[in-house]
Amino acid sequence: MLEVHHLTKVFPNGTRALNDLSVTIPDGQFVVVIGLSGSGKSTFLRCINRLVEPTSGTVLLDGEDVTAAGSDRLRQIRSQIGMIFQQFNLIRRESVLTNVLTGALGTTGQAGSLVGRWPKDEVERAMANLERVGIADKARQRADTLSGGQQQRVAIARTLMQRPRLLLADEPVASLDPATSHSVMRYVEQINKEDGITVICNLHFLSLARRYAQRVLALRGGELVGDLDPHAIDEARFREIYGEDAVEVEVR
Amino acid sequence: MAQAEARPLRRPTPPPSIELPSSDARRWRLIAVLVALLAAHVVGWRITNINLPALFFGLPNMQHIVASLLRPDAFELAKDVVVAEGLVTVVAPGTPSTGSRRVEEPGGPVLVITPRDVAPGQPLYVQGTGWPAGKEAEAFLVRSAGARPNSAGKFKVEPDGTINYAFVVPEWAPNTYGITVSVTTPAFGITPTQTLTLCLRLMVETLFLALMGTSLALIFTLPLSFLGARNLMGGSRLGRAVYYATRVAFNLLRSIEVVIVVTIMAVVVGIGSFAGVLAIVVHSIGALGKLYSEAIESIDPGPIEAIAATGARPLQVVRYAVIPQVVPLFLSFTLYRLDINVRMSTIVGLVGGGGIGFILTQYINLLQWNQAGTAIWLIAIVVTAIDYLSAWLREKLV
Repeated sequence: MLEVHHLTKVFPNGTRALNDLSVTIPDGQFVVVIGLSGSGKSTFLRCINRLVEPTSGTVLLDGEDVTAAGSDRLRQIRSQIGMIFQQFNLIRRESVLTNVLTGALGTTGQAGSLVGRWPKDEVERAMANLERVGIADKARQRADTLSGGQQQRVAIARTLMQRPRLLLADEPVASLDPATSHSVMRYVEQINKEDGITVICNLHFLSLARRYAQRVLALRGGELVGDLDPHAIDEARFREIYGEDAVEVEVR
Repeated sequence: MAQAEARPLRRPTPPPSIELPSSDARRWRLIAVLVALLAAHVVGWRITNINLPALFFGLPNMQHIVASLLRPDAFELAKDVVVAEGLVTVVAPGTPSTGSRRVEEPGGPVLVITPRDVAPGQPLYVQGTGWPAGKEAEAFLVRSAGARPNSAGKFKVEPDGTINYAFVVPEWAPNTYGITVSVTTPAFGITPTQTLTLCLRLMVETLFLALMGTSLALIFTLPLSFLGARNLMGGSRLGRAVYYATRVAFNLLRSIEVVIVVTIMAVVVGIGSFAGVLAIVVHSIGALGKLYSEAIESIDPGPIEAIAATGARPLQVVRYAVIPQVVPLFLSFTLYRLDINVRMSTIVGLVGGGGIGFILTQYINLLQWNQAGTAIWLIAIVVTAIDYLSAWLREKLV
């Protein structure tokens, strides 16, 4: 269970990205976070694994205070939280297999990984995870030779190496076309259903949210303005979250 | 609304309003800047003593230099040389002369020097057999190994291949000296001159000077450049202090001209290539360090986030998220630096750093313009070649 209490982030330039945000997410839930750009969605995800250091508030993962963890403990916690990104963030010049193996960096010995030597069972596990996302045949290719959708699947395989309890997905399909978006979202959904991994996913498109989410959190100006059933979001509700401009655009 | 159509759920942001100054104000500002620039150049013309007539009337002085430079001492017609070398001992006047000395090389001519001990002013005979019949021969006295031989006169080889020549021994101090007799005949083809051979050897030395300077600089620069990258060091107060210290050090090293560093290093380790290598190392650490650090700062932060999010340690983040991104840039910058260092190596020689620049200054000081031309042409050719090679390689890399 993930508990977020009074989470606030103020950036050094004075931007208040998150303001007193509290939410509790039970294990295994597929949560979609929606909101305008700048509403604090990305900051919210990054505060959970402390890629962004919260200004105040606490994040409890299964009762443990992530915000109070020292640097060693923080790395252990991070190794249990998978994360995928809008720009995939693969190591472009390395092979697909190496990219997947980096998911195991939090749990493998430091010396071997620095010279590029990986335990045999980790390599096997990496191949199995690539198999799961359907691109095992690309294992030896350079990551940047893959299409966007394939790269995001590599990123998913990388998080699977972590055997995560929680998957954070920061606009995972915002750089992809609609068909590819669904393909990637289905893999995320599969991980959520088969492995029981909690998913917190930022999305721009409401149609995707309706299709995949069990629960929708709406952010506006860094505050939680809606905790909704995805099928209950009608136009009126939508206007509340996004404002008049966006509604007009959606109609077009 | 066109923007909003492309990205449905983003609220269009109004363009920031920037107050532009009126067109009149801008025009006056432009005129003021142009007037200031003009004034600076008028003052500059006087301060730097620009004197066009001097250039015009002085140009003819350059004529013979340019003519010599255009005829570098690089190749000559090939020649066959038959040579024999012997020794003679010059003794104090009044000492009786004794015997003779016979020199014979297997397959070569025979040279007989009579007498073996001779007083200045007395005749010395060079005789022998097996010389190229009818050709012109020349005898030389050599003060010491490596010294320029003094001609003792030319004579003709007899039709049967014998030589028989005598000359008067000069007033040299008693000692043992070399005697050389040689017959030079033109042969087919051209060969490099001694100057070219020497310049080539020193050019190779120069290339190695650049290579060693660059590589030794790398050893220091590679780790230091990570300390000089703001995106890696900006996290803590200590990190920022290290970042600024590293950057200041880079800038200091870079701003000191190589020529000055060579002069200092020549005092420390003596004139020669090593002083040149050290100077290039010092300068390259600064120059490469800045480039490397900026390369690290320019990398995509995405992979760093992604690798950090897996729970990796800082060294692992550097290994997997930073190094793969910077390696092509580092290689490219290093090749570029090697290219610059080859050019610099020719300069460091001018001030005692060894290599081809060293011999070039000697030629210029002795007004040996043909020889200087050889060195200058060689530098131009090699530097241009390295320039193209490095550009081609860099294109392949990035």
